[in-house]
Formats: sequence, structure tokens, C-alpha cells
Amino acid sequence: MIGQLLGHCRITALIGEGGMGVVYRAYDEVLHRDVAVKVVRKDAGIDSYGRQNLLQEARASSSLGHPNICTIYEVGEIDGDLYIVMELVEGKSLHAISAGTGVPPESVLRYGIQIASALARAHDRGIVHRDLKTTNIVVGADAIVKVLDFGLAKRVGGGLLDAPTMSFSTIQGASSVSGTLPYMAPEVLRGDAADARSDLWALGVVLYELSSGNLPFEGRTGFEISSAIMREIPKPLGPPVPPGLWAVIQRCLAKEPLQRYQRAGEVQAALEAVQSGAIGLGAAAAEQPANAPPVTAMHNVRHARVKKGDFLLLVGTTKGAFIFRSNAQRTRWELAGPYFHGLPVYALAFDSRAGQRRIWAATASYWGTLLRSSDDFGKSWTNPQQAPIRFPADTGTSLKNIWQITLGPLDEPNVLYCGVEPAALFETRDSGATWSMVRSLFDHPHRPRWLPGNGGLALHSILLDPSNKQRMYVAISSGGVYRTDDGGSTWTAQNRGIRAMFMPDKYPEFGQCVHKIALHPKRPERLFLQNHWGVYRSDNSADSWTDIANGVPSDFGFPVVVHPHNPDCVYIVPVESDIFRCSCDGRLRVYRTRSAGAAWEPLMRGLPQKEAYETVLRDALAVDSYDPAGIYLGTRSGQLFGSHDEGKTWQKIHDGLPSIACVRTAIIEDGSLMPVQAPRKTAANQPTSKSKEISNSKSRQGGRRPKRR
Amino acid sequence: MPIAFQIPAALREFTSGRSAVEVSISEGKLSDALAALWILYPGVRDRIINEQGQLRQHINIFVGNEHIRYTGGLATPLSDGAVISIVPAVSGGCNRNPFSALFASLSDLGG
Repeated sequence: MIGQLLGHCRITALIGEGGMGVVYRAYDEVLHRDVAVKVVRKDAGIDSYGRQNLLQEARASSSLGHPNICTIYEVGEIDGDLYIVMELVEGKSLHAISAGTGVPPESVLRYGIQIASALARAHDRGIVHRDLKTTNIVVGADAIVKVLDFGLAKRVGGGLLDAPTMSFSTIQGASSVSGTLPYMAPEVLRGDAADARSDLWALGVVLYELSSGNLPFEGRTGFEISSAIMREIPKPLGPPVPPGLWAVIQRCLAKEPLQRYQRAGEVQAALEAVQSGAIGLGAAAAEQPANAPPVTAMHNVRHARVKKGDFLLLVGTTKGAFIFRSNAQRTRWELAGPYFHGLPVYALAFDSRAGQRRIWAATASYWGTLLRSSDDFGKSWTNPQQAPIRFPADTGTSLKNIWQITLGPLDEPNVLYCGVEPAALFETRDSGATWSMVRSLFDHPHRPRWLPGNGGLALHSILLDPSNKQRMYVAISSGGVYRTDDGGSTWTAQNRGIRAMFMPDKYPEFGQCVHKIALHPKRPERLFLQNHWGVYRSDNSADSWTDIANGVPSDFGFPVVVHPHNPDCVYIVPVESDIFRCSCDGRLRVYRTRSAGAAWEPLMRGLPQKEAYETVLRDALAVDSYDPAGIYLGTRSGQLFGSHDEGKTWQKIHDGLPSIACVRTAIIEDGSLMPVQAPRKTAANQPTSKSKEISNSKSRQGGRRPKRR
Repeated sequence: MPIAFQIPAALREFTSGRSAVEVSISEGKLSDALAALWILYPGVRDRIINEQGQLRQHINIFVGNEHIRYTGGLATPLSDGAVISIVPAVSGGCNRNPFSALFASLSDLGG
């Protein structure tokens, strides 16, 4: 081979030989530089598919461009052998440097930071190393670390291990892999696909080896090594290894990937903090951006096996969330949960935009208020390290509660809004990765004069105008209704005609205790409002309001919901008074108008009519988008009722839940099961996603029925 | 100097399952040790303090057996080998003095 020309590189010397092939020193005769050339043998156990992948990987890696990654210049084939031309790194491997005694902690940190930085770059580009070990990390004379073989191990190592029948003795026998066994993460040994966190495990092994000169998991045979990896805790590293470094290593070596650092950048930051002595100052971590949210699997919880055609009720209570699964018939229900058991869940939402199936939930506890999401119907939930919704430092304010989660427009599936306590509006434009407070509303000159209601000073309702993207409504208790017509730059109070019983001026500009607002997308200029005393309608985009409590037993109540298909049809649940917030006369009755408030009728068949002192909170009434529409209510006493005939008759879905704060509906679409009776004109922006969501106080409400197939 | 943290069950999700975490700090206030803790385990930070850097209302911290309320709050000086306990109040969200209930069982707090 010496003297041979590969591409425009002439082989000058043999550097070394490994399981995969041979590495030569070569001279690039065009670019006039020394390079290394790795020739992968035909018999390295790679089939033609594997070769193709290897080439792709090598090409992808060649774009990494990082000072701590050995650069790949060129890949090619000669006589059926693959060859890879790469940067010539002259130095000693970390294995050689650390053999026996390890290196001083300062060096471990210096090397570790560079390796973590290299991994961070590769992971950001979707490239997992899969074979990180001290023998393929080289330190040059300039003390710069270079990680070799990025992307080269993927198909080779992975391919061999993916074979389920492969025994460890076989792996031992394959020299290319035997050296890596001590660096393999438990999940890789179990046969799971390696991901970025498997590299972080290997980094933990490397750091341990560098610190002590020994591997954390040792054994005389492959079985012993893998058994140690799966089960044993590594021998603790004491002085001179500082506790901070030992803690970082331990976290890399957590058996469960979820318990490790989730990103190489976190390891880098932690090592830098140890290095700089910032462990003790702490600024570094405090300024870290929110990390990719770890996910918490919900064990010991009964899960729903949700399939297409199912219909779900999402129920938030003061002690956790529940999912009720049914189908389009909406008569038989299967209970799943409790999720977040013991924690109040005041806000839920189902997001089916752009094909997603994501449940959002807000949880509150001693440990703070969090917005979490699940893409697998509750089996696992994000558990962000950093609370995603947070007031800016200069506000001097901290988040108490999340009252409302509202989806943005259908054609902006990454946009969501949250209404919180103390009253403020938050917005995300990247599906919840980052949230920002809507400053213009927080800085509104009225804000210092808003007063907390019984539930605190809450922004609890958010309505988007589907016909005008610049327009949005929010309702605050007690502040009233505010509207923006310029996409949130400015907000005006829109409370003319709404009474404030508790104020000296009964019709103030703002300060009303509005309990809920709703609109129908087909008539976005018309809004309905349940007030702290008073039921109102506006026909002019909340410029003025008219009392429509014509004949209801009490105009005190919390929820108001519009029928999904009929903009004149509205539901409320009156309670006796602000002193006695229970159903009037001990009879739980929903009131419905089909004339936009000109007249109301009680709906009570199937609802308790004797000694029933129930309360339905502002978000505990919801409709679905079937035809005929279903309507659902949850009570503070933990009873859940549903009607699949628009409220005519009701069935008790469940009795004995914790106090219900929130009910939301979700249809998991399967056209063949939809009880669609006749084609119906749909809203202009017909959703294209596979499942649909509807809930009260959402602009998406109604008019978006499951499409008939 | 080494400082030991006792981690309550609800936060072990963020500490690789560890109930005790040791950190090393160069000089000694509680805030320094906490900062060191959440450099190692960033998820712990927002559970203990809010976005304004204040201790959450129903979270109590002890240095040794002394509640930090009586020893200078987050500026409580630490000595070599101090043991810091993070303890959630047993009853939050109501007016009961959480301090009085501190020693009740923590096992059913969930999280």
C-alpha cells in the first residue's frame, strides 16, 4: 500500500491497524498537507447497505467543522475497500495518557470540556458517535483534544449489536467491538438504539478512566463487564477528584438515560463550572437556557389505549388529571389516570394541529407551576428542568398559576397562549420551547388597579378572532375584558355595559369580575360573557354589551360555552349567588338559549334534581364537535356528566373524582366512525390535521367538524 | 469544603435518583452551595426558588437542624461538612403554619 495513490493522497507510512481496517499516513499532493487515511477492509463485516450508510455518515461528519473533532476531508472507494481521508492528528490517545494512574483533575476537566463540546456539535447535527472511548480521543502537542471516528462507528458497531441473537462472547470475538464494550450504555446492551445520551454515558466512562486510570465497570469476560454495566455502581472516586467532578461523572453514568444529562452542552457547562470554581458562585447554571425537557414516564397509572375514532374527555381536578376514553357514540367510558396525582390541574388543552396529538397540562405544587405536555396520551409527560413560563426579572413578579392554555391559529401550529395568575398573557411561537410574556398587556396602565377575585388575579380566558389575526380578547378576574386589534401591541378595556356590583361606580371602564367569555368562529364579532352577576352578549366585538339573562333563575355563574355548529346556541350553568355558589334550589340545571339569549330553557334530564348543591367552575363545561353535539360538565363535588344529544338528556360518566376544575374534549379522527348526518359548510380554514379539538373559550370552537370521508 | 444535601423524594427525578448529593464550594454561604447543587442538577433550581430568586413559599431549608429562617436565609454561613436538608411543607396553599407540620411524613407528597 505504501507509495500508492488514493484519490490525490499518496500513502507514505503505516500508522496503525484496527478491527475495521488500517490507518496510514499520507500526503495530499494537491493541497500539500499531511493527512491520515483509514482504509476499511472489505471483510470488516459491512454489507453493501452498510457501506452506503458508512459513506453517508462519513460525509455528514465531514461537515461538523469543530476544533475538537478530527476533520474528515474525503471518502471514497478503491478496489472495493472504503477509504476515509482525514485530518492527521499527531499526539497520544487518552488511553495512553491515563493508563495506570489517570491524570490530574485539572487535565480531566480540560479534556472533558473539549470532548463534551465536540459531542454537543455532533449531536446538534444529529450525529451520534456510538464508539467514544479513550483510544479514539487524541491529545496533540498543543493540548487540543481531537475526537476521532465520528459517525464511523454508527453502522459498524450498531449493526453488530442490533442482531438480537448476538451473544457477548461473539462480541468479544469481534475485535472491532470488544474494545468498546466497557463504554457501552445499559440501554445499548439491552438492544435499544443508541442516542446522544448513550454518548454521554461513554463520556462518563472516559472521564472516570481519565480520573482514575481504571474503567468504572470491569470484568474478566464480556458477560461480567456487561453485568457490571447493567447493575453495579462504580467505585466512588475520592480526592484528588473533586466532588463536583465526581458528581458530573456519576450523572453521566446513571443507568437510566432519562436520569443522565440530556445534552452534551449540559455536561460541558457542568465541567466548566467545576473547572472555574464557579461551583460556589453559580452564575453559569442560572443563566443556562431551558434544556430540552426531560420526560417523566407515568408508572403505576392506568393508561388509555387510544386509537383512531376514539373520543376523549380530558378532566383536570384539584388532585390530578384524568382521561376518559370513549368513541363517537359517547356512551361507554374508560377511565385513565390519575396523572400528576395529588397536584391541581387547572388547565388542559388538546392540540391536533399539523398532525400532532399533544395534551397540554398545567400543574401546580410546592415546587412551582409547570406547563407540561404528552404526545402519547399521558404515558409520559415532559418535566422541564426550567419552568418554561416565568415572569421577567424586572417585573418582580412570580408565577402562581396557569389558568388557561389556548391554541394559536390553525395555520400557526407552533403558537400557543397561556393565561396566568397574577394576570398576564404568555405566548410561545416554538411549540412551548420558549415562552414570553406579552409586555404590552402587563404594562397596561390599568393593571395596578385590577383586583384579585376569589381565584386570585387571573387571566383566565383567551379568544382569538379567526377572521382577523390582529385581534384577540382576554378576560381577567377582576379586570374585565381587554382587546387588541394590532396583534398585541396595544390593549383596550372593552367593558361598556357590564355591571360591577361590588364597585361604587356600577359601570366602570374596567375592573369587572368577568368569569368567562366565548365566541363562535362563524360570528366572531359576537361574544357571550358570564359575569360575576350578569349574562351578556356583544354584537360589536365587545365594544358594548347587553344583558341577556332573560329568565334564568340566577345570572350568577362561571362557565359559558357556544354550541359548535349553531352560533345562536349558548350554554350556561347558573348558581344561586356569590354567597352560595351552588346550583339553584338544589337542582343541577344547564341553561341553553337557541336565540342568542332572547330566551333560555333548562336542561336537566339525567342531572341530579334533588338536594344537589353543585358548582360548575369556569372551565368545567365543554362541548365536542360531533353532530349532534355533545356537552360535558364536571362539578366541584367530582361528578362528571355528559350529553350526546346537545343537552337534552344526560348521563353520569363518573362519580367520585376529586373536585373538577377543567374539562376538555378531543376527537381522534377516524372518518368511518363519524356520525356525520349531512355535509355541512365548514369554516373557511378547514383543518388539515388528523384529529381535532374543541373546547370552550377557544376560537377554534365549533364549525370545524370532523370531515366526512 | 464539602457540603451535603439531603434531597427529598420529589426532586430525585432531577438528581439521578440520589437522595444525598455532595458538592464542594470554595467559600461558604447557603446560596453558594445551592448554586453548586443546581450546576450539577439544573432541574432542582426552579423547584426550590422562583423566577425572582426567592425561596418558594412552601419549601423549607435546614442547615443541620436549624431552619434558615433563623440563621440568615440564603446568606446563612456554612461550615465544613454542613448538611443541608430541603423539606417541603406538609400543607401548602392554606394558612396553616408550614413550620408546625414539617416533621410529618413526607412520603405521600408525591411529585
